[in-house]
Amino acid sequence: MVLQSNYTSMDTPHFRKLSEDQVERLHHASLEILDRTGVRLFEPEALELLKKKGIQVEDGNRVRIPPGLVEWALSVAPKRTVLCDRHGNRVMPLERHNVFYGPGSDCPNVIDVRSGERRRGTLQDIVDAMTVCDALPNIDFLMSFCIASDLAQETSDRHQMRAMLMNSTKPILFVTTEFEGCVDVIKMAEAVAGGAEQLRRNPICACYINVTHPMRHNQEALQKLLFLSGKGLPTTYTPVVLRGATGPVTAAGAIALANAGELAGLVLAQLNREGAPIILTGGVNDMMDMKTTVDAYADPTNRVMLVELAHRYDLPIFGLTGCSDSKVPDEQAAAEAAFSIMLETMAGAQMAHDVGYLEGGMCNSIEQIVICDELINYTKHFMRGLEINDETLALDLIEEIGPDGNYLSTEHTLKHYKQDWYPKLFDRRNYDDWKARGEKTLRQRAQEKALKILETHKPEPLPADIQKQLDEIAG
Amino acid sequence: MDLKPIYKNVIEGQADAVESGVKAALAAGVDAGVILNEALIAAMDEVGNRFEDGDFFVPEMLIAARAMQAGLALLKPHLTAIDVQAAGKIAIGTVKGDLHDIGKNLVAMMLEGAGFEIVDLGVDVTPEAFVKAVQEGANLIGMSALLTTTMSNMSATIEALKAAGLREQVKVMVGGAPVTEEFARSIGADAFAPDASSATRVARQLVA
Repeated sequence: MVLQSNYTSMDTPHFRKLSEDQVERLHHASLEILDRTGVRLFEPEALELLKKKGIQVEDGNRVRIPPGLVEWALSVAPKRTVLCDRHGNRVMPLERHNVFYGPGSDCPNVIDVRSGERRRGTLQDIVDAMTVCDALPNIDFLMSFCIASDLAQETSDRHQMRAMLMNSTKPILFVTTEFEGCVDVIKMAEAVAGGAEQLRRNPICACYINVTHPMRHNQEALQKLLFLSGKGLPTTYTPVVLRGATGPVTAAGAIALANAGELAGLVLAQLNREGAPIILTGGVNDMMDMKTTVDAYADPTNRVMLVELAHRYDLPIFGLTGCSDSKVPDEQAAAEAAFSIMLETMAGAQMAHDVGYLEGGMCNSIEQIVICDELINYTKHFMRGLEINDETLALDLIEEIGPDGNYLSTEHTLKHYKQDWYPKLFDRRNYDDWKARGEKTLRQRAQEKALKILETHKPEPLPADIQKQLDEIAG
Repeated sequence: MDLKPIYKNVIEGQADAVESGVKAALAAGVDAGVILNEALIAAMDEVGNRFEDGDFFVPEMLIAARAMQAGLALLKPHLTAIDVQAAGKIAIGTVKGDLHDIGKNLVAMMLEGAGFEIVDLGVDVTPEAFVKAVQEGANLIGMSALLTTTMSNMSATIEALKAAGLREQVKVMVGGAPVTEEFARSIGADAFAPDASSATRVARQLVA
C-alpha cells in the first residue's frame, strides 16, 4: 500500500434521522412533562421510593419528578447489559449500535405453518416457532410468538417460558400477565442458569414490561419493575402511546411523552437498586389510523426516532423491527418487514423484536419469520463497509487479463467470490430453471424451509432434572 | 495403488497435486485408462453432482476442471484410442454480429470439464465457419447470442448446414439470455439450454 495521509474508510453505513439539537429538545420536553405534569403510580412501594427523596405525593398517587433526579438516574444506570444463552455464553452485549433480532410475543392468532389458515394460537405453535427460531441463523433471541389459547390463561405465561427454555438455547425476552407469573418465570430461569446469583451475573433472559400509559403506571408493571431491578436483573419498561388517542397525534409530542414514561420507570428502578439494568424502548409511538382506528404498527413515522433518543442516553435499547400490518405473509408484509429491518438496523436498534409480526401484532407467522431471517441476512451484508486495498482493487489482475480475457477461472475469483451475498431463500435462477422447480413463490419456499426445519431440527434438550423443576413451577 | 487422493485433489481443484499424483500412479505402473476413468472422470462427475445440488459454485467447478485437464495432459501420451472416448466434439461460438462471449466461454469450460473436446470458434462466427467445423469432425454445435438482433443468425447457420448436406450428422444446441425453448424449436435446433450447468446435461443427452 502506498502511504496515504488523511484517509478514512467507513466500516458501516452511517445514518441519522434526528439532529443532536432535535434529540436534546425531545429530552428536555420529557423532563418538562415529568416536572410539570407528572405521573400516576398505582403501586405504594413505588411512591414510597419517591417520598424518601422528598417528593410530594398528590391526589393519592400523582408525583412530579424533578429533572435533577432523572439526570441522576441516567448517570447511574448501566450503559450496557449482556444477555446470555442457556450455557451462560455472553452472546448479546446490548451496547452502542449493536443489533440483535428476535420474534415478537403473545399474538392471539397465528398463520398455521402447515395449512396456511389463520386461527387461535396454541402451545404447539410456540414449540414450533421456538424450534424454527433456534435453527434460524439470523434470529438471536426469543419471544413467545403467540398466546396459548389451549391452556388456562392464568398460568399460560409459565408454559410459554417453559417452551422457550426447552426448545432453544438462545436468550429470552419473556412477558407475563400478572406479577406472580414474573416471579415464577424468574424461578424457572434460575433453575436453568444454576441459581439466582448465576442468573444475575449471566442473565439468560430479560423481562418485557408493558406499561398502560407513560402517565399511568399500572400496579403489575411497577411490581415487576421493582422485583426485577431489586434482583439486578435486566428488564425493559415500555409505556405505550397511541398517537391521536392516548397522546398527541404529532410524533414529537408522542415521543417526548413516551420517553417521559420510560424515564419515570428508570428513576424508580435506580432508586430501588442503583445500577439496575434497564433496557429503554426504541419505539412505542404508533399512530391510530384515523380511517380505521387500527394501531398502525409498521407505519414509517414510527421508525428509529426513539432509538436515536435512547442512543443519546447510551443505554441498552429494545427495538422494533420486521413487523407488518398485513394480514398474510404477502408482498406488503415482505415490504414492511424489509423497510423496518433495514432502517432499525441502520439506527442501531440493539434488541430488535417483533420480527414476523402480522396485523400489527394480532397475528404471528412462522413463514414470515423465515422470510425475515433472509431480509436480515440481506441487511447484514449491506451493512458491511467496502474494503479497498491492492488485493480488492486488483489492478495487476485487470492488467493481466486485459481487454480480451475473462475472470472466471482465476485464483482471485475463487478466493473472493464467496464474500458476495448468496441468498438462502430469495430466488435468482433463470425463468426456465425456476419454472422447472415448481414456480414457487417466496412464501412457498419459506413454508417449505420452516417445515423442513420442524422435521429435522432437534434443539439441544434440557437436562431431565431441570425439566422436572420447570414442570413443577409451571404446574 | 490408491487413486483416491487424485480423485480428491481434482474435486478440490489442486492442479499441482493432481499432476504429482498422476505421475506417481504412472510410475507405479497403473494403467492410464484406469487413472482417467476411476480418478479424473469420476471426480468430475462428482463435481457435476455437487454443482447441481448447489454445494459447488462456478469458480470451484472451473478450478476442478483445470485440475482435471492438468492430469489429462500427462495421461494423453499413455492413452490408447480405446481409452479415450471423448464425450463428443463440440464447435462452439457466439453468432455473427455478436461479440458477447462470457456465457459461451463458461459453457465451453463446463463442457471441457465434462470430457468434451472443444473447438472454440470465438465470437462473430459466420455460418460458414460453423459448417467448416462440422466438416472437420465436430458432431455438436453450440451457438450463443446475447442480442435479439443477432439471434436470427442461429437459424442462418442451421440453413447453411442444410445447404451443405450436413444437418443430419450434427446436433445443434443454442443458448443465450434472449433465447427460449420456443425459439430453439422454431429455428429447428435440437436443443436449448438456459444456463451453463444445464448445457452440460443437454449436450450429454444429445450425443448419448
